Amino acid sequence: MGLDPNMIEAVLWLGVSALVLLVLLVARGREGVRSAETRQLSAFRDLRRVVGESAEKGGAIHIALGGGGIAGEDAMVSLAGFQLLEALAADLVSYHIPTIISVGDPTLLPLAQDVLRRAYEMRGLPDSYDPNQVRFVAPSPVAYAAGAAQFLESEDVVASVIIGAFGAEVSLIMEAASRRGISQVAAAAAPQAVGVLYPATEHLAIGEQLFAAGAQTSGLRRYVTSLEVQDVLRLVLIAAIPVSALVTYLRGSV
Amino acid sequence: MSFVRKWVSVLVASVVGIVVLLGSLLRANAWLVGARDVLVDWAIIVAGFALLLGILNVLSVHGGRVVRVRKEWGYSLALLISAAGLALVTAVQGPSAGSTQMLVDVVIVPVGAALAALVLFVLVGAVSRMLRVRRDATSLLFVFVVAIVLLGSTPLVDWEWLAQPPRDWIVNVLSLAGMRGLLLGVALGTVITALRALLLGDWPHER
Repeated sequence: MGLDPNMIEAVLWLGVSALVLLVLLVARGREGVRSAETRQLSAFRDLRRVVGESAEKGGAIHIALGGGGIAGEDAMVSLAGFQLLEALAADLVSYHIPTIISVGDPTLLPLAQDVLRRAYEMRGLPDSYDPNQVRFVAPSPVAYAAGAAQFLESEDVVASVIIGAFGAEVSLIMEAASRRGISQVAAAAAPQAVGVLYPATEHLAIGEQLFAAGAQTSGLRRYVTSLEVQDVLRLVLIAAIPVSALVTYLRGSV
Repeated sequence: MSFVRKWVSVLVASVVGIVVLLGSLLRANAWLVGARDVLVDWAIIVAGFALLLGILNVLSVHGGRVVRVRKEWGYSLALLISAAGLALVTAVQGPSAGSTQMLVDVVIVPVGAALAALVLFVLVGAVSRMLRVRRDATSLLFVFVVAIVLLGSTPLVDWEWLAQPPRDWIVNVLSLAGMRGLLLGVALGTVITALRALLLGDWPHER
């Protein structure tokens, strides 16, 4: 009796899910902070320094979360951006750094506002929270990038953080920041965005490194464990590629 | 109370997520596929309300800048007037009327295309800046590869044989392999983040 290919796919998915869930559940039992020893990425390692510089200069920091809607295929990339935002928000509020968060999808707007509002409440400054610190710019990627670039010009921004779903249009934000000599930290998953960000900044997280944002910036155990699981599965994937190529080659030659 | 509220919302989000996931994986099960379609439709409706929030946010941010006469408030005023004009035309004529479509085709599309066309020039500018700031081996390699690909893509009459073969090899072998590796890594990160969100309720609003 042949199995339904969809069924096989589902079983595989659920099997991997169960494995990862098991590891995460074990880790969740021990909440807390620990360092992400698995790997250190310059993009996230220098982020605190960039925030510190913003505090010293007295300028604003711009965080671009991109156009990946929470209901779309880029939702997880945006979620990684939120992990970074959560980790940074406490410092931004504590140091009284003016913060502008731009989003290119309206579903990100209430979530980003919520993260920022909670950061203010946790520091006992609920009255200082301004929902207009989070700005929806435009639903089209190019218009979003052009609008976000405008914030760098008009709001005395001294540091720019780009993390989320972007394409080649991110170069408009990057160019505005470079022209003004603004410190830039970026993390992008799409190859088009990586290509244009590479010449602009040394602090660039590429591809799956973006998902290390939460672990690297907050050190929360659930993120660090998640990153460790990701690294293990990455090694498995790397090993599987030559093996599957060899098997395919041997089958073809028989 | 907040504990109960938190876990109820986590439970609802997780159950909905799992039903949508199973509906996408087990396409032979009509009930799951139907439930998935209904839930996705609800998500689209919620996203529609989010767009309304987004529009209010745009009006609030730019209205505030105009009222307080902040830096570059003129741009904000232009945006508000344009938005009001387009909304008025759309309300009177309807979204698919000729005049509404004309505003989109004559203003929005060309401006978007012009901005997109800037990307190449911006990239060339960024590369020249990079060469001034970072003169290491990887930067030089980056510039070398970009130069070969650009030359190979340029119609050099009678000289295509010089740059086109290395360009094709870079694009079809090196670049493609790198891109696949990148996308596999992203897929892995996406799956793990999705599992955390789906099964453990690890959303920003749940913490």
